Amino acid sequence: MSRFLKFWDSDFAWGFRRSPVAVVSFVVTLILILSAVFAPLLAVMNPFDPASLNLMNGFTAPGTPNAFTGDSFLMGTDDQGRDVYSTILYGLRISLFVGFAAVTLGLVLGVTLGLIAGYFGGWTDTIIMRIADIQLTFPSILVAMLIFGVAKGFTPVEYRDQLAIWVLILSIGLSDWVQFARVVRGATMVEKGKEYVQAAKLIGRGSLPIMIRHILPNVLSPVLVIATISLALAIIAEATLSFLGVGAPPTQPSLGTLIRIGQGFLFSGEWWILFFPSVTLLALALSVNLLGDWLRDALNPKLR
Amino acid sequence: MISYLIRRVLQSVLVLLVVGLIAFAMFNFIGDPIDNMLGQERTQEDVDRLKAQLGLDQPFVVQYLRFLASALQGNLGVSYEQGRPVAQILAERAPATLELAAVSGLFALVAGIVLGVFTAIRRNGLAANAIMTFSLIGVSLPTFLIGILLIYLFSVELDWLPSFGRGDTVDVGGWSTGFLTTSGLRALILPAITLGLYQMTLIMRLVRAEMLEVIRADYVRFARARGLSERVVLFRHALKNTLVPVITITGLQLGSLIAFAIITESVFQWPGMGLLFINAIQFVDIPVMAAYLMLISVMFVGINLVVDLLYVAIDPRLRT
Amino acid sequence: MKTFMTVSMLALGVAASAQAEEFSWAGKTDPQTMDPHAVNSAPVLGFLNNVYEGLVRRGKDMSVEPALATSWEPIGDGEGWRFFLREGVTFHDGSTFDAEDVRFSYERASSEQSDTRSWFAPVKDLVVVDDMTVDILTNAPNPIFPDSIANWMIMDKGWAEANDTQRPDKENGNYATLNANGTGAFMLTDRQPGLSTSLAPFGGWWDTAEHNITKATYTPIDNSATAVAALLSGDVDMINPVPIQDAARVDARDGTTVVRGIEARVIMLGFGHDRDTLKYTSMAGEANPFLDVRVREAVAKAINVDAILQTIMRGSAEAASQLVSPAMNGYSDANNARPAYDPEGAKALLAAAGYADGFSFGLKCPNNRYLNDEAVCQAVTGMLAQIGITAELDAMPVQNYWPELRADNFDMYMLGWSPGTFDHEHPVRFLVTTPNPEKKLGSWNFGGFSNGRVDTLLPMIQSEIDATKRQAMIDEVVDIYQDEHAYVPLYVQPLVWGMQDNIELTQRPDNFFILRWVTVN
Repeated sequence: MSRFLKFWDSDFAWGFRRSPVAVVSFVVTLILILSAVFAPLLAVMNPFDPASLNLMNGFTAPGTPNAFTGDSFLMGTDDQGRDVYSTILYGLRISLFVGFAAVTLGLVLGVTLGLIAGYFGGWTDTIIMRIADIQLTFPSILVAMLIFGVAKGFTPVEYRDQLAIWVLILSIGLSDWVQFARVVRGATMVEKGKEYVQAAKLIGRGSLPIMIRHILPNVLSPVLVIATISLALAIIAEATLSFLGVGAPPTQPSLGTLIRIGQGFLFSGEWWILFFPSVTLLALALSVNLLGDWLRDALNPKLR
Repeated sequence: MISYLIRRVLQSVLVLLVVGLIAFAMFNFIGDPIDNMLGQERTQEDVDRLKAQLGLDQPFVVQYLRFLASALQGNLGVSYEQGRPVAQILAERAPATLELAAVSGLFALVAGIVLGVFTAIRRNGLAANAIMTFSLIGVSLPTFLIGILLIYLFSVELDWLPSFGRGDTVDVGGWSTGFLTTSGLRALILPAITLGLYQMTLIMRLVRAEMLEVIRADYVRFARARGLSERVVLFRHALKNTLVPVITITGLQLGSLIAFAIITESVFQWPGMGLLFINAIQFVDIPVMAAYLMLISVMFVGINLVVDLLYVAIDPRLRT
Repeated sequence: MKTFMTVSMLALGVAASAQAEEFSWAGKTDPQTMDPHAVNSAPVLGFLNNVYEGLVRRGKDMSVEPALATSWEPIGDGEGWRFFLREGVTFHDGSTFDAEDVRFSYERASSEQSDTRSWFAPVKDLVVVDDMTVDILTNAPNPIFPDSIANWMIMDKGWAEANDTQRPDKENGNYATLNANGTGAFMLTDRQPGLSTSLAPFGGWWDTAEHNITKATYTPIDNSATAVAALLSGDVDMINPVPIQDAARVDARDGTTVVRGIEARVIMLGFGHDRDTLKYTSMAGEANPFLDVRVREAVAKAINVDAILQTIMRGSAEAASQLVSPAMNGYSDANNARPAYDPEGAKALLAAAGYADGFSFGLKCPNNRYLNDEAVCQAVTGMLAQIGITAELDAMPVQNYWPELRADNFDMYMLGWSPGTFDHEHPVRFLVTTPNPEKKLGSWNFGGFSNGRVDTLLPMIQSEIDATKRQAMIDEVVDIYQDEHAYVPLYVQPLVWGMQDNIELTQRPDNFFILRWVTVN
């Protein structure tokens, strides 16, 4: 408890409390994450269970009873008769999972490679940075298709639905690592030349401990900022991949898949199929972005 | 310097070769071109004959080496879908993409700098905060949705701007340009905004951050102390110093503008290379996909190379 | 008067701002070539029907009518057909049409390099009798031959030789890939592959023009939402298709109209008949449940086609009982009922077959080939779940789909079939007959359905001249495939075209857009 109080009193927390934008976006993010985690409790149906769907409920408008079945839905239903509200909760789960997992992958990979490249320099650096060039050349959609194609050959069909999720994580994570690596590499090169690192080297410390104990803590601020922005980007990237047909399957849709399906109904009058998932995605990405923004300013010593 | 240059160019060539190898390895997984090329009444015999004819019965490494061999002689192959030389098709499509990327880049640069300066000067103002927040909407929705919403609003509901395509183009020495006709210019507006929105937000934030730092810098304080007017201080001294990183970033982003025009082009049916690539994926048109990827790689690697060399030219300490 | 002018200009919308007779339309894909013999695909043949013509052509109701041939008659006792050619026909470049052009076009269209070669499999030879008469000799009596060549288009021999395009070249392309010289109502004026193609009326056309178009431009628009926006904003005069969900809105909107029809294409589900075990299942190693006809019947009864038609297809499609639609030649009126929706009956059938606890299997679907294909498969998955069997749905783009089916990677799959000859014999030959690569039979029968009686009946149907006897044999085949539940026919795919109110056109069931029936008011 005292730890919490200490944090509460810190400059960082004080700055946070004084920024209404930060507080609001933090609260929105938290609510969305909690609704995703507790989706099974909050949802009125499980949209991933095909046996629970009644096709005749399809295209029910929000709040008005269906003409055939008399059922009523808060945010209406989609073309399969799925409750949009429940589907969003479950879709949020997938989007957040993909986002967090992809960023974690990109972060671990990028920080590790960046540290190594920056610390050792020379050929190691050259090879890692040229791999980064190759990575940048491939749009993430192609990475996704490549991994999807290769993975498909090895996975039995009953795991295919989950497969799509892992392919998304892998392809978004892989296109993410480069920026982590670049920032960490740059910072590492700067830190490497400083006296305390030279001193640690002199007293015979190994490379790994130096990297982890001395250099890593000094590059964490920019990494945290990039990670936050990347989370928003990853969630959007997942939606874009959906549009190109390599996203989460429609039987287990993410927010991006829901928007892809919903955009087909933009002109037909069933606005709710597109509107509610889009607003949810916007709220999520916007609040994460705003948090990242605030974090960037808060962690930048020059702007204090 | 010369040896660094040679080493760096050799590395770039190696990168290109690896990109090509990876590209050919994955074509097998994108699908099978044969079904698109032969009709409903094809037989297994036809399938085998065509496969052998196109060399698709060979391992991907062999296919790649063949592609390289003819690419080195300036022959990028013949499109499976159109039955025409790929180089010719790319040359026809390049102007559309380059013009779109240029206009988007310009839009991002101008709007980004203006808004960036404004939000930096009025750091805590209501309008500045509103702009900062709204600009994030542009990066908080997927591009395809933004494009479709813009079409819905400006073409269907308001009927102000065309919904798709490039409008009328004029041929100037083999380059088809949309800059010279009203319909061509009108057609550029929505796709350019869709494509440039993300970069605009990026540049705006960068300019704002740089400005905020520069404003506190000693020489700006000194200029102020000398009694120079606020306008002169801001624009002659502060803004000038923020422009170097902004222009570097814009240069780097130009490559990704072209590469990621894929989505914008397919939403607006913009007849550029990105749309060509999307169609090529659907048709499994391997020669077109290979040529496009190599082109994008050359561009990215080239831009990277130039940026690296420039840094070296500026800072001799990096020449190790 | 001035006020009146303004009002009518407004009512005409964008068409008024351009010249009234210029017409622009958009579809999903670009015709990949202008060569009528290079590929056998609907976008190409449909487009080129405006530029090239055959000996016969199809009218507004799909009936065969004279075109470059004025009449035809059988030769002897089913040895072939004699065609009398039309006098005074010229090609777009001014050269005269005669029997040598027909002979040349036969050689070109049936050559090794041509995809349309299979149309001429029944043909032994083509003999030029005189300048205006040709005999087409067949291997066996072939009553439906004139019906099967409406898409065989005639090219000028001299033009082809002068431009070195005596054979189609799909892989590398040649002059005819980008240029055209037909006898049809429209000439090709501008061709930009993948972007736009323009046509102008041919002044020297032999028939009387019904249209009033001065220039027509086609643009492919891949994204459906963009295509609808283009129509609604008046940027194009007509789009095909309108996404089914948008049809009502487009129709209700001022200035735009929707024309609906029933296409020739039947959407169905197929089974893996020829394997002992399921490919994708939790009960590995056990017998393939679909080998049991009761299980196949249960699937047919479990699917509520009416619900699919009412919601996903928005009432625009018709349920199907057979592999062809009622508009096709040889449709079996005697077998026009499809199994009623009966989930309880389906469960009982499953229990009788020993699958009371259900089973799981792999269902393959395309997601960009047929109208709302993926949504329909999703709905099928839900309906099968309600009788206790679990379909693991795997939907993919069509470029991955056919290779997957050919590699036998499915337990059940979705297929759409449009009979190229508009005859019931076509799907029987491709989908129901035992696969036999040498005889080119059953080449799309992925599931390997096999029935000896059907195999016996097919050649008899192909050569039977007497229409009543022929229909009786077709009825027997339908009986067999319905009783065996070889496929589960779902519905006939609808045609939904959208256009500006000032356009009049005719919609043909083969989804070919015929420009010469278009009027711009």
